[in-house]
Amino acid sequence: MQSTAVQNASQTSLYEQVAETFGPALDRLARAYELDAEARRDLLQDIHLQLWRSFAYFDQRCSLRTWVYRVAHNVATKHVMRQRRIRDRLVNIENFDFMPGPDQAELAASQTEALGRLSTLIQRLKPLDRQIIVSYLEDMDASSIGEITGLSAANISMKVHRIKNILKRWFGEGGL
Amino acid sequence: MNDPRTIWQNQPKEPFRMSVDEMRLRAQRFQMKARFKVVYSITIGLSICVFFGWNCIRAQEVLSRMGFGLLSVCGIYFGYQAYKWIWPSDLPPDSPVSTSIEFYRSELERRRDYSLHGWRRSGLTFCFLGLAMALAPGLIDSLHNPRLLVNTVPFFALLTVWFVAFLYLKKRGQNKLQREIDELRTFERAES
Repeated sequence: MQSTAVQNASQTSLYEQVAETFGPALDRLARAYELDAEARRDLLQDIHLQLWRSFAYFDQRCSLRTWVYRVAHNVATKHVMRQRRIRDRLVNIENFDFMPGPDQAELAASQTEALGRLSTLIQRLKPLDRQIIVSYLEDMDASSIGEITGLSAANISMKVHRIKNILKRWFGEGGL
Repeated sequence: MNDPRTIWQNQPKEPFRMSVDEMRLRAQRFQMKARFKVVYSITIGLSICVFFGWNCIRAQEVLSRMGFGLLSVCGIYFGYQAYKWIWPSDLPPDSPVSTSIEFYRSELERRRDYSLHGWRRSGLTFCFLGLAMALAPGLIDSLHNPRLLVNTVPFFALLTVWFVAFLYLKKRGQNKLQREIDELRTFERAES
């Protein structure tokens, strides 16, 4: 009885710490998986809920950050995978190699338009590639991304290289 | 200005706040929703068990008694099978995304298999056998009194309608699940 109370307290304090530290990043992650504001709020609530539940199993075998991103991406992936119409239209990052980027006038667009373009790009990706690009945009290195996705460092490096090239095409020099 | 990482990290934030109590409440609701279907099936199974058990005690004929007894056992069996095949299993919350998709697919496959062997797993063979045994004495009696047979017509008509609807819905559900499983397989192949 007492150990359950201690566990609940640590679960709650861990959640509060995570909500404080990773709140904005989780908000951005939800944005990468859902464009509709109402559905995004539901998704974000679901992510927070699953995180809170997951802390009952957190055994510190990986860092807190890795744990948080894995759980959050899992919830968001399930959200996308359940929507058949959306799921059928997703592509791999490799497919973007054959797609033309925006022209010079579009490259000089405002920050809001650039964010819209970035969101469009992310929304078209399959979950694994989406996970990699979001992690890259959050300034994570290849080894951290590898820890979250479970892919090898070599595989991640190759994907990140592709992502950088695509971002360069879509956002000009700053993409690199 | 054009650095996508800066753009991404500086995007406007939406205020989001959820208290721990609210979280607990939602977690409870989430659990309840996932388990409602199984509890519902178990309740139906137990109700069937009690109803036919009561009829078993009250029946005069040995054959009817055996039939109602069999139907009563079928109720428990139905509840147990629902628990065994529909109860949601848990995936470690921190598993990689590829495992998560695979897990989702395997859950669908489990449901499809349950539906595919639904006849056996719901104990319907024994259910119909029990029904036949329970009704046999009454039907034999009705040979001498055809009015009794007419009284059973609505029951058999309803049973036939239910049976046809059951087969149709089962087939439709199976096809839907199979389509989704196939799509997920194609998706997994393309992603790897």
